[in-house]
Amino acid sequence: MSPILWHSVFFVFLAALACAFAVAVVLAGDVVRMAFYLIMSLAAVAGLFFLADARFLGAMQLMVYVGGTLVLLAFGVMLTARGSLSSMRSGGGQWILAALLGGLLLAVLLQTVVPLGMRERDSPLPATEKSARSPAQGEGPSPALTTQLALGLLGVRTEPLCAGAAGPTPPPAPAYLLVFEIISVHLLVVLVGAAYLARATRPRTKEEALGIR
Amino acid sequence: MSILPTEPEIVELDLASDEMLLNMGPQHPSTHGVLRVALRTDGEVVTGLTPHIGYLHRCGEKIGENLMPRQFLPYTDRLDYLAGMNMNLGWALAVEKLLGMEPTEKARHLRVLVCELGRIASHLVAAGGYGLDLGSFTPFMWAFREREKILDLFEELCGARLTYSYITVGGVTADLPPGWLRRCADFLRQFEPVIGELHTLLTSNAIFIRRTAGIGVLGPETAVDYGCTGPVLRGSGVAWDLRRQGEPIYTRMYDGYRFEIIAQVHGRYPEDEPYPAVPAEAVLGDSWHRYYVRMLEVVQSMKLVRQAIERYGQAKGGIGEVLKPRHRLPKGAAYLETEAPKGQMGFMVVGDPGGTPSPVPWRVRIRSSSFCNLSVLGELCRGCLIADVPAIVGSLDVVLGEIDR
Amino acid sequence: MADGLIQHFGVYPCWHWLVYLTVGLVQAGLLVAMVLLSVAVCNWMERKVSARIQDRLGPTRAGGRFGWLQSPADGLKLLCKEDLMPAGADRMLFRLAPYISFCAAFAPYLALPLAPGWVVQPLRTAVFFMLAVTGLEVFGVILGGYASHSKWALYGAMREAAQVVSYEIPLGLCVVTVVLATGTMDLVQIADAQQGWFWHWHLRNPFLFGTFWIYMTCATAGTNRAPFDLPEAESELVAGFMTEYSGFRWLIFFMAEYTTMLLLSLLAAILFAGGWNGPLPLAGWLGLSADNGLLAAWLGDALGACNLLAKGFLGLTFMMWLRWTLPRLRIDQAMATCLKYCVPLACAMLVGTALWTFGMRGGFSGKAEKEDRGADNNVQVTILNSQFAILPGPALAPRLMPEGGRNP
Repeated sequence: MSPILWHSVFFVFLAALACAFAVAVVLAGDVVRMAFYLIMSLAAVAGLFFLADARFLGAMQLMVYVGGTLVLLAFGVMLTARGSLSSMRSGGGQWILAALLGGLLLAVLLQTVVPLGMRERDSPLPATEKSARSPAQGEGPSPALTTQLALGLLGVRTEPLCAGAAGPTPPPAPAYLLVFEIISVHLLVVLVGAAYLARATRPRTKEEALGIR
Repeated sequence: MSILPTEPEIVELDLASDEMLLNMGPQHPSTHGVLRVALRTDGEVVTGLTPHIGYLHRCGEKIGENLMPRQFLPYTDRLDYLAGMNMNLGWALAVEKLLGMEPTEKARHLRVLVCELGRIASHLVAAGGYGLDLGSFTPFMWAFREREKILDLFEELCGARLTYSYITVGGVTADLPPGWLRRCADFLRQFEPVIGELHTLLTSNAIFIRRTAGIGVLGPETAVDYGCTGPVLRGSGVAWDLRRQGEPIYTRMYDGYRFEIIAQVHGRYPEDEPYPAVPAEAVLGDSWHRYYVRMLEVVQSMKLVRQAIERYGQAKGGIGEVLKPRHRLPKGAAYLETEAPKGQMGFMVVGDPGGTPSPVPWRVRIRSSSFCNLSVLGELCRGCLIADVPAIVGSLDVVLGEIDR
Repeated sequence: MADGLIQHFGVYPCWHWLVYLTVGLVQAGLLVAMVLLSVAVCNWMERKVSARIQDRLGPTRAGGRFGWLQSPADGLKLLCKEDLMPAGADRMLFRLAPYISFCAAFAPYLALPLAPGWVVQPLRTAVFFMLAVTGLEVFGVILGGYASHSKWALYGAMREAAQVVSYEIPLGLCVVTVVLATGTMDLVQIADAQQGWFWHWHLRNPFLFGTFWIYMTCATAGTNRAPFDLPEAESELVAGFMTEYSGFRWLIFFMAEYTTMLLLSLLAAILFAGGWNGPLPLAGWLGLSADNGLLAAWLGDALGACNLLAKGFLGLTFMMWLRWTLPRLRIDQAMATCLKYCVPLACAMLVGTALWTFGMRGGFSGKAEKEDRGADNNVQVTILNSQFAILPGPALAPRLMPEGGRNP
């Protein structure tokens, strides 16, 4: 009986959780529930980090994303979720647009990841760092592959790396900065939108307050 | 201030879109009774407040028109139920004023004795309950432990812990049981250090000061305008105490007794005892000063009790001739205010104006000190935070029994 | 431990997973049992401590003179209560909120070492992990307050969330101060740096002594205990975010609060007061170390765990003492205390500790060299260096310290 690849089992489980909750975010009707599902999804991602033995990063994910960003999100949602905002249903056109964008993103990710995986399977790279533990059953990708994967997602071409094999990793390409800029502008837009939505409308006269026209 | 009533501020109607209407009570875990406070808040800041009363209304005044004065006495116990003795005294003195009766000397000293013990008991509830409102659970238990001892003394005396009906028209109902004075003196002796403990836990506690100093500041003119009396008035610096400045029929009860009127006069409180110092953050007329006045009055009451014990021992005679039940009340009216623990309690009893002598009064009217003290709550709470409202209500020390009657 | 069992019994490879599962379940079960038992003891202690402070007796009937069965009796009563849910409540979130709170309170125990050999999941970044997960408890609070469909509950939830999140900052700063002084985030190493007599504890450092008190203040505030319990304040808001919770659901919230209190107390004991090292080096005198065999090592660990739990419960008693003595701070005063007092003081303590450590390097006990060990690889784990786990499951044997862990 071949040994069960427990690593893969847990990976599939956590990834399925993350995806399921992400889908739930999109499909949920109530804004607060959406925030809650997002919390669960990001917690599952943190679990994936712990599974990858990146414990510092997993704790960082929990602290920054789940404990920080999502607390802020939950606050904002709860304080503004009144009336029309409390149930967000998107129309048919928005669904198609969203599916298109999501599909495009999936295509970009697959295009980066799949060739790397195929290359690894055909000609595995020598590992640059070995873990302190004895490698028993089950396999994981070698460290050099993760380097390539990370750089590939950032838009840096990584073929020259395969020939070079061992050696210190090159510094990240300038593309990293562009990604940060995009994120910062996005957050600014979110803040401005939140401030606009949360502005108080004070009635100017007593008649308005009492509802008399 | 004009005597015409201004448009009543109905908090519920004047609500802006981002303001919230909150209700505190009538059931909430506070010691003051069934009081409902409607708050209009902008976030955490209170922009308007209206107290709603009447949840404990029992038609006391109407019942007084059907009962003889001695029969009405138990109903006065239930007004300020935390200081029943003082309520009994007010009613008894008012009827005595109408009838022109005078109690005996022994009864006079007994009345001082039990009324001042009742004042201590009432202020212990005020202080302990105030701590409880602010989240300090222990002084409440310690204050009530001491109050239990006073209630035990009262139970020995008249058989009841809360609704005494002890001071009656003409005197008191019974003389002291043997050994009572010794037990009372023992109680006073062991009570003194407890006051110091309460000072440590509350009066000088930094968090307590932060919660009460500068909160709910009541100016002396506003206090007088709204008819506030008792510690609320004295906490604003007005040295007015009916035990010295009231009607002779009342003040002669305290003739020969030495005690101080607790109010900050010319920037200083009376210095007959080592009281804790006034903190720098406390503003005259704030909640801290009202609480402080009560704590100092407890010490004064202790002095009065000690003097009363001494003078009772020297007094001769009986405890008074109690009014005969069917004694007809003359035509006329008598109104008398006494210094109850919470302020000035006024009782009016009107004999039949038509002239038919009847043992039952034509009209009974009770002027409640807490009613007027509570009326200033709207003024005090404007602009404060929601968490300050219990601090202010607690410092006013209202009891709904006498507000609603 | 699982590896040891596999080797000892010569288990077939296809059954390895069962061994891991069993070991994992046993350890998880022991941990849950320990935490729940501690909560029950905490509850009893609270009632007795509060009673004695208030000059009364507390429970004296349930289970004999000392009322020690009062906690199980209360739990049983709460189990039997009617399960109420407010009419407009969000049912799923209302049900989930207490469990989120409790899970977030309980999860850090996975990384908490009771003794050098007794830790479910030894982490090199244990302290960071614990802080991160403890910060998730606020979700249970917010969701509970929101899902109760009550204005008062939402008010209380918002206030509590604001307070907890604010006090995480000085709490983190205090912890970072200790990490700075020790050079590692691993709790086992932090406590082992304090081996010996009680003057080897971190409290000897005057800045860490100050940090300890700031930490206790922030811990009290972070768990919403008086004097910082305005969100649960009775006089104004009935019970804050817990208003609509009754019976068993309330019990879970309540357990979460005690669990977090105990966790922060134990963490304080490890960070500042030597952890499992007692005031006297008894284990060394009695020879309870790995050199003398498995039993001696186990006894040494047990002694250490008792030490640690005693210190943790002392910290708990201190928090209870505070609750029953002091009045409550208003929410704006609590936030002012955090931002105007705790944060600057914590920063000052951080700077002071850095200077003190620098000046004392190679100082009193010659243990300074420990501070350098592990400083590099602990704090700089990056995604580019990540290793994939080879073996699944909990409780791989402590990989950093040899068994017993009593290296001088």
